[in-house]
Amino acid sequence: MHPQNDTVLSLCDVGVRYKRRGGLLQKPEYFQALKNVSFDLRQGETLGIVGRNGAGKSTLLRVMAGIIRPDQGRVINYGVSVSLLALQAGFDPELPGRDNAIMNGMLLGYTRRQVEARMTDIVAFSELGDFIDEPVKTYSSGMRSRLGFSVSVFMTPDVLLLDEILSVGDRGFREKAESEMTRKMSSDQTIVLVSHSENQINRLCDRVICL
Amino acid sequence: MQADLNERTTPDAGSLSQWAVSAANDRAWDEAASRWALVRKLYPQHAPGWVQGAIAERELKNYAQSEALLEHAKQAFPGNPNVLLQWAELHIVEQQADLALEKLRTVVDAFPDDMAGYARLTDVLATLGRFDEAAKVNQRVRELFPDRPRGWQQYAELAMQQERWAEALTRWSMMRERFANHAAGYMRAAVAAENLGDRRLAKTLRLAREYGNAWLESTLGGDSRATAHRVNPPQRRGMLQFIELVWTKARLNLKSEANQNYLRYLWWIIDPLLYMAVFYVVFGLLLNRGGDNFVVYLLSGLVPFQWFAKTVQLASGSIIAGSGLMHQVRISPMFFPLVMIVQTAGKQLLVFGMLFLFLMLYGLYPGWHWVGLVPVIVTQLILTVVVSAAVAMIIPFARDIANLIPTGLQFVMFMSAVFYNTDIVPDRWRTVFFLNPMATLLEQYRVVLLDQQWPVWSSLGWVMLGSGLTLLVLLAAYRRLAPIYPRVVLE
Repeated sequence: MHPQNDTVLSLCDVGVRYKRRGGLLQKPEYFQALKNVSFDLRQGETLGIVGRNGAGKSTLLRVMAGIIRPDQGRVINYGVSVSLLALQAGFDPELPGRDNAIMNGMLLGYTRRQVEARMTDIVAFSELGDFIDEPVKTYSSGMRSRLGFSVSVFMTPDVLLLDEILSVGDRGFREKAESEMTRKMSSDQTIVLVSHSENQINRLCDRVICL
Repeated sequence: MQADLNERTTPDAGSLSQWAVSAANDRAWDEAASRWALVRKLYPQHAPGWVQGAIAERELKNYAQSEALLEHAKQAFPGNPNVLLQWAELHIVEQQADLALEKLRTVVDAFPDDMAGYARLTDVLATLGRFDEAAKVNQRVRELFPDRPRGWQQYAELAMQQERWAEALTRWSMMRERFANHAAGYMRAAVAAENLGDRRLAKTLRLAREYGNAWLESTLGGDSRATAHRVNPPQRRGMLQFIELVWTKARLNLKSEANQNYLRYLWWIIDPLLYMAVFYVVFGLLLNRGGDNFVVYLLSGLVPFQWFAKTVQLASGSIIAGSGLMHQVRISPMFFPLVMIVQTAGKQLLVFGMLFLFLMLYGLYPGWHWVGLVPVIVTQLILTVVVSAAVAMIIPFARDIANLIPTGLQFVMFMSAVFYNTDIVPDRWRTVFFLNPMATLLEQYRVVLLDQQWPVWSSLGWVMLGSGLTLLVLLAAYRRLAPIYPRVVLE
């Protein structure tokens, strides 16, 4: 198979199965989460993935992110960074927002310096003000998700994988977040979006894959 | 029906017209025509009866009848521009373009304040391909009615009709500037962009329909800091970056731990102090057994052993505890035990400090040979890494093993001569006894701290070599198993 020039990630015949039960003493039983999935992801496109519950949408994203290695088939990365939008990944409620933002960014794969260089933007976008130096446990859930989202907005890899579009923070911030994410979609950002809402997928995506 | 209406109270012109309009809205033109006929009969001075009736007749292709109605309406309602407009429409349907244009020009001249005439004139001219004339009329529209979207929309559509897509885009943006909420400014512009082959722009324009013109301008202008300065992580974490990550996480964990207490970092000193005080009181003062130096002997073994035990205990469940994170980001499972190791090692430095203070209180002053502690501690660190990483690696596959860890550690403690002197180990068992690396290491601590001698390098060397080799094997195993863990912890 010859990929097109702008292909950034290829999945060839990917299959994933999970062990449902079984172990040393029992014959193992498997659950096939994905079977024979093949497609090319192209630079700058927004690819939608739809499917009913349990169709393996989230598993597919994890395979693309390199978190899970498929049991069958291959994932070919043509030199791009891929990551799942992991809001508030690794947040520690005892630590101030600033430390959490740095840790979150580093877990997403950035160097400490890269995150620190964007700290001013992150704080400004999150609208947290002086709260950024307070422990996250004193935050409302809205403030927490604002901080998490702000890191993700400024720390975006080549290919961003979104599991369900975000519903973050209060109404005002949600609009800001959505408009910022849509801005990414309309820019050169490559995005894979999993959603239950067909309407949303049709509105935002260039191409749709049904599992 | 008609009789019915006459017998009862006659409805007023407005509601009667509504009744007719509803038929027209359903495109039931037959019904509409007869209803409008009734309106004309009852209210001959009501203009819609004639004009709308003419439309219904036109739709029914009764062109002569339609024209007759309009002819009458023209005489009866000279001030109504719609009569001429509909007449023009009739001509258009009959494909009499010149007559239609004539009527529209009359409307424009007679009713210069009415936009509909201009707009329709522009349309007809454009349809006829007379774009120059259309453009002139459209310019009038925009001059006369700058606050109404129709003229601007037509301006852009004129360019679209001539397939001048780039110009159309410019004109749609003029439209958006004035009427930010008007859908055509985005959706039709997207069509123009598509025709130019710019699919990205087309998509942006369609999305902008929801987020408005300001969003669009900033997206196209690229003044959003988020999109303009995209940063990319290194594709794979390098060794240095991984170490930085572990270091930062361990440091932050300690900070977090300290934040949970009022006395914060002070606890790292208080805790070992209390611990040693307990042993001093019980073994040094109350029981006073094992000779004068028993407390010192005990602590110089117990403190390093506790370091080992605590780390292994903490690290053993760390990969399973990190399963949430492992499902969100790509991270080596090695990260989790390593953070625990660094974290406990950091605290252990203070504990060793306390131990040294305690030893000095007992009259064991530091000398040159204390430098020999450095290789001993380093060796123990490597051994701790090996055991912690191995245990943490195995437990996700066989979680039952986690239940054995506390007992196992206790067993190792008893086998490492923490509480007794190695002299009591029978000679024939000594070789086997010192196969336990912890026993060897604790012996070396005592050699340095109590006997004031340099460590036995050969013993230390064997432990170091064994740990180092195992570490290499473990690293290879971790590398192989890394992609399996996110699933193993799930299953």
